[in-house]
Amino acid sequence: MSLDDKLKSLRENGIDEAKRAQRLQELNDLRVNLLGKKGPITKALRGMKDVPAEQRPEIGTLANNVKKDIQQAIEEKMTELNEKLVAHQLEEEKIDVTLPAAKQVQGTKHILNQTIEDIEQFFIGLGYEVAPGYEVEEDHYNFERLNIPKDHPARDMQDTFYLSDELLMRTQTSAQEGRDMEAHDFTKGPLKMISPGVVYRRDDDDATHSHQFHQIEGLVVDKNISMADLKGTLEALCRHVFGAQREIRFRPSYFPFTEPSVEVDVSCFNCDGKGCRICKYTGWIEVLGAGLTHPNVLKMSGIDPNEYSGMAFGLGPERFAMLKYGINDIRDFYLNDVRFLEQFKGVN
Amino acid sequence: MKISVNWLKEYIPVTHTVEEMANKISLTGIESSPVELGTELTGLVVGHVTSVKPHPDSDHLKVCMVDVGEDEDIQIVCGAPNVAVDQYVIVATHGAHLPDGVRIKRGKLRGQESNGMICGLDEVGVPAKYMPEEFENGIYVFDEPQKPGTAVYDLLGLKDQMVDIDITPNRADTLGMRGAAWEIGATYDEKPSFKKPKLNTDKIKDLNDVDVEVEEKSLVPDYLLRELKDVKVGKSPLWMQRRLWNQGIRPVNSVIDAANYVMIEYGQPIQAYDLDKLAEKKLVIKKAHDGDKLKLADEDKVLNHNDLIVAAGEDILGVAGIVNGTVAQVDDNSKNILLEAGVFDGASVRKTAQRHDLRGDASNRFEKGVDNGIVSEALVRATQLVDETSAAKEISKEIVGNYTEAKPTVIEGSVSHINHLMGLELSTDEMVGILDRLGFTVKVDGDKITVTIPTRRWDMAIEADLVEEVNRIYGYENLPNTLPAGMETRGGYSQKREFSNKLRDVLLGEGMDEAINFSLLSKKEVDDFNVTSAEYTKLLHPMTEDHEYLRNSLIPGLVRNIAYNQARNNKDLSIFEQARIFARPKGQARPNEIEYLSGAISGNVMLDSWNTKAQKVDFYYLKGIVDEVLSFTNTDAKFEYEATDDYSNMHPGQTAKILANGQVVGLIGKLHPKYQKDHNVDETFVFELNIDALFELNKKSIKSQSAPKYPSVSRDLAILVKSDVENAQIISDIYENGGKYLNDVTIFDVYEGKNIKTNYKSLAYHLEFLNPNDTLTDEEVEKAFSLVKDSLVEKFNVEIR
Ligand SMILES: [Zn+2]
Repeated sequence: MSLDDKLKSLRENGIDEAKRAQRLQELNDLRVNLLGKKGPITKALRGMKDVPAEQRPEIGTLANNVKKDIQQAIEEKMTELNEKLVAHQLEEEKIDVTLPAAKQVQGTKHILNQTIEDIEQFFIGLGYEVAPGYEVEEDHYNFERLNIPKDHPARDMQDTFYLSDELLMRTQTSAQEGRDMEAHDFTKGPLKMISPGVVYRRDDDDATHSHQFHQIEGLVVDKNISMADLKGTLEALCRHVFGAQREIRFRPSYFPFTEPSVEVDVSCFNCDGKGCRICKYTGWIEVLGAGLTHPNVLKMSGIDPNEYSGMAFGLGPERFAMLKYGINDIRDFYLNDVRFLEQFKGVN
Repeated sequence: MKISVNWLKEYIPVTHTVEEMANKISLTGIESSPVELGTELTGLVVGHVTSVKPHPDSDHLKVCMVDVGEDEDIQIVCGAPNVAVDQYVIVATHGAHLPDGVRIKRGKLRGQESNGMICGLDEVGVPAKYMPEEFENGIYVFDEPQKPGTAVYDLLGLKDQMVDIDITPNRADTLGMRGAAWEIGATYDEKPSFKKPKLNTDKIKDLNDVDVEVEEKSLVPDYLLRELKDVKVGKSPLWMQRRLWNQGIRPVNSVIDAANYVMIEYGQPIQAYDLDKLAEKKLVIKKAHDGDKLKLADEDKVLNHNDLIVAAGEDILGVAGIVNGTVAQVDDNSKNILLEAGVFDGASVRKTAQRHDLRGDASNRFEKGVDNGIVSEALVRATQLVDETSAAKEISKEIVGNYTEAKPTVIEGSVSHINHLMGLELSTDEMVGILDRLGFTVKVDGDKITVTIPTRRWDMAIEADLVEEVNRIYGYENLPNTLPAGMETRGGYSQKREFSNKLRDVLLGEGMDEAINFSLLSKKEVDDFNVTSAEYTKLLHPMTEDHEYLRNSLIPGLVRNIAYNQARNNKDLSIFEQARIFARPKGQARPNEIEYLSGAISGNVMLDSWNTKAQKVDFYYLKGIVDEVLSFTNTDAKFEYEATDDYSNMHPGQTAKILANGQVVGLIGKLHPKYQKDHNVDETFVFELNIDALFELNKKSIKSQSAPKYPSVSRDLAILVKSDVENAQIISDIYENGGKYLNDVTIFDVYEGKNIKTNYKSLAYHLEFLNPNDTLTDEEVEKAFSLVKDSLVEKFNVEIR
């Protein structure tokens, strides 16, 4: 066989073998076997010396082309096999995406604290400072500074846990008012604060009473505070908490430390004021108490009521949360059943 | 108090429904609700009993013929023991509706036809406890003839329309019909008119049958008496009785009823005494002696020296302003009567009434205050009413025990200041008009107004009271909505609150649910975790043993939550609480309030699932959470865990104190198995961190450093060491000897057991060396590593493996 034929036959066989290969290893082996230094092409070229000199360039070109063609065949096949391999891997790695997740758990903030912080954020936005105050308070701040002297009948309205004649568990976060007014430097601008926290009353625990509950007291003292300011502020609050369509109304009331005093009702968010079980068919829900700071309270804190006036309000986060989420038993807040706690994930 | 519309109409015109009135009064003054009595009642008429015969087949039933205004008398079978011929009675005719859905139908009773029912008052809606005693076990009988067939509702007040006003303690002026008429009148711009009571002047005599002495003049500013001689006590008129029973007061006799009626009419309590029953004809108002007894109908009250009493000689007639005893009670045989109108100190009345559990209509009024401008007139009115119904022969002049002139309050205000506080711009005329509706007299002098307040409004004292009156009558609904317009302020939380929120958020991120527990604990609970060793703080008068002490740890509350949940099959729990504990330093009355952050984890932290195995909580899991919290405290302080068996309810081998720069800031560990069992909780790990202490350390000065550009070099070290040597000791020794390029040391293996000598453990550490400014050479690292190994061998006798 001529060298020429030999090379051509090697090319044919090589390409054929490459096409038939099933595994990458076969192709690698083929490359080494056919194209390597010890391979048949190299061997065949040793017979070059027998080829007449004028034919040698032609044979040389042929040999290179043969190598190139085989190389190309091997590479094509390799690409094909690689693609198959990837496709196979992808097939292998297919999963059932409907199987349940590996659980990543975030805890749930207590619904009362969610409610409180929502209200805090509202007032912070209006420039109020948050001052929590003491849970054990002096009779002086809890009562006397709020215009409730020792024999005042209003002391009956809130039965008190005393620690001694002068110390008690605060019955209202209003107890913070005196301390804040004393500490405030009015040359630096108005006093605007809210005071959230726990308060205590001598009540038997039942569905609507708890010997411990939360309150948020608000107080603004400045030169021009009016009932209209109080109404505007509380309406904005009620809209923030209960929805943009809400309205509020004032009803006259009595608290020793405010004059005038009002109860504040919000239009029912459940029935839009048409009347339902939640609003007891009145269209209105009582949500908080408020008023203008009593001049005596200002005076006792060294503030001249002829120059300054104040507005104060007190609201109950328990009541807000019970209304908003339809919670029927105040004790649920303090049992901490995780099924109760976790249903409020991210509501505020 | 319930304001009857019929009664109110004597003073002001009323054209609105009770619903409308209640709504309007609620918005302008006092919280009110409508009350409509007897809306369900039908078919009730006056009957005249024309004959009564025994029932042929019954001992107690009677067969009556009754004239109900129809052509023929109807036959009714009646079981009441008091039914008799010629009575005028209430008849429920065929088809009548009674309260509670009862319907009357024609029928037969033991064979005898019965065409209706003769009724008792309680059967037509008057509560049994408010109806006259004589009718308690039978039918009601009218005192006077009535026209048969007339509807009975108006006669008996069965369908009265009322407005129930729920007063605040400052508005006791409306605890009388006249005061309520002023208030409701102001709402509708109607001034009430009242008739002045008058006595028959011919009967008034200088009687000197009784003396009076008020010992406690400061507690009894007014004390007036009138004597009525030779009265004939009987029944009070029906109009008065029906008003009383609709007020929840039982009619008794013409004297007591008149006294009660005046209390409702004027808000001034009146007492009546039978003069002939007095041991001594002298009334003395004084403090009781300890042990004195007041005789009441069903019990004796033992009095003490703080109680103000009305006495006559040795007899105690009553506790002043609260209740009369039985000693001088007016009954049907009484002849000579004393009527008393006084004003008693509210606080004194309140305490005595509370002490003896005797709060009632009279004490309620004195506690809140009465109008001392009408004491005398109210007494005249009571005297007049008694005289009208019980025909006195002679009436005394006013007998004065004490008298204080009632002076109207004068308030000065400024129209502009009042407007300014309301946020309104009313004209002087508008403002004066509103004050006039309330019955106040106003003098205007430019911007200044001088307002004279009648004595019935003793709650009015200062300009702010005028603001309230003007604003509420003007209508709160007419107020604009504005926001305070002063200087801008920067709001926000305190730094400490920001700090504690940050730490709390770490726990939320770690999957822990937030709990809120009670601050008041039982004695046992404060004993259980008295880790601060401070004094306890105890309530003076706790309500229950469960809530007696102020908490000194948050752990008992969290354990209670774990138990509550696990009892309900919520087994895997991870909860925390951020709240205050109370620690009272010795010799200090007031406890310190310290913010704490505590957590408890029980059960699995990784649940069994299709591709993971369940993983139970252990010490190191919780420690990882605590470390993460501590890493957020923004401090340079050095934190350490120190094994402790100091806490009796914690596992002695799995508990540590958490130290910051050597100071205890918390604890972490497993609950003692015995404690777990006692509290019905599964294996539970807890921690507690003192936020206040951590906040004090919160002063890290951070200077940013760029991340190192040179590679670090690592060495692993495995050692065999005695079991009681702690990891922290080894780590701290490695750091001490590792030279300045030792950057980090972590433990990556702990092994005890098979193939290891008893009482020994194998530990393996990963040391990382780094020079931020240059590439480390092998020699440098090897040198430091050798020093580390040498020291460990020397100090802890370790075997390098
Ligand atoms: Zn509604």
